[in-house]
Amino acid sequence: MFGGVFGGGSQKPAGQMAPGGMGGGMGGGMGQAQMDPNAQLAAAEQEMEMVTDMFARLGDLCYRKCLIQRYSDEELTKAESVCTDRCVAKYFQVNREVSEKLAKLSQTN
Amino acid sequence: MYNNYGASYQEQRLQQMMEQKQLKDFMRMYSNLVSRCFDDCVADFTSNTLNDKELTCVNRCTQKNMKLNERIGQRFAEENAKLMEDQAKMGR
Repeated sequence: MFGGVFGGGSQKPAGQMAPGGMGGGMGGGMGQAQMDPNAQLAAAEQEMEMVTDMFARLGDLCYRKCLIQRYSDEELTKAESVCTDRCVAKYFQVNREVSEKLAKLSQTN
Repeated sequence: MYNNYGASYQEQRLQQMMEQKQLKDFMRMYSNLVSRCFDDCVADFTSNTLNDKELTCVNRCTQKNMKLNERIGQRFAEENAKLMEDQAKMGR
């Protein structure tokens, strides 16, 4: 599904993990009982779109920032692995920070 | 209820939509990967076939990027779970 996580060598679209892990996903907060089904579907679609986009960006950014030595080996080096973990963690943190700041800004307006 | 369709129909629609998105996303990632490995590995145009060095590079590039994506997927799922937990705590 989204994210394009290529599970090593398998035919399935890489995103399997991410979406699977988020099945009810980020939409957990929505009051689904009140929504009409079409709106529900559209909301789910939008959310998925957002997640896919985020995943793609992560892929690109962490590739640029962490895969410095290209390509000495087939496996990720220890440094690259650690860098990737931190890359994702920091990206999410930036995401939170920006959300909070934006929320504050829109409140004062 | 507000519709004539059973819950299973909605599920089906959702499923179809997810599958379509999945396919589309896969195709995009594949194209990007090809571009990336070409960009990173190919610089010699004295021939119209890939030389050994380039072939090895492309192989490694593919493997490495796949593993990178896999790892990102794992961390992503973890972070996302945390995010949802936080949202739940905040009562959203």
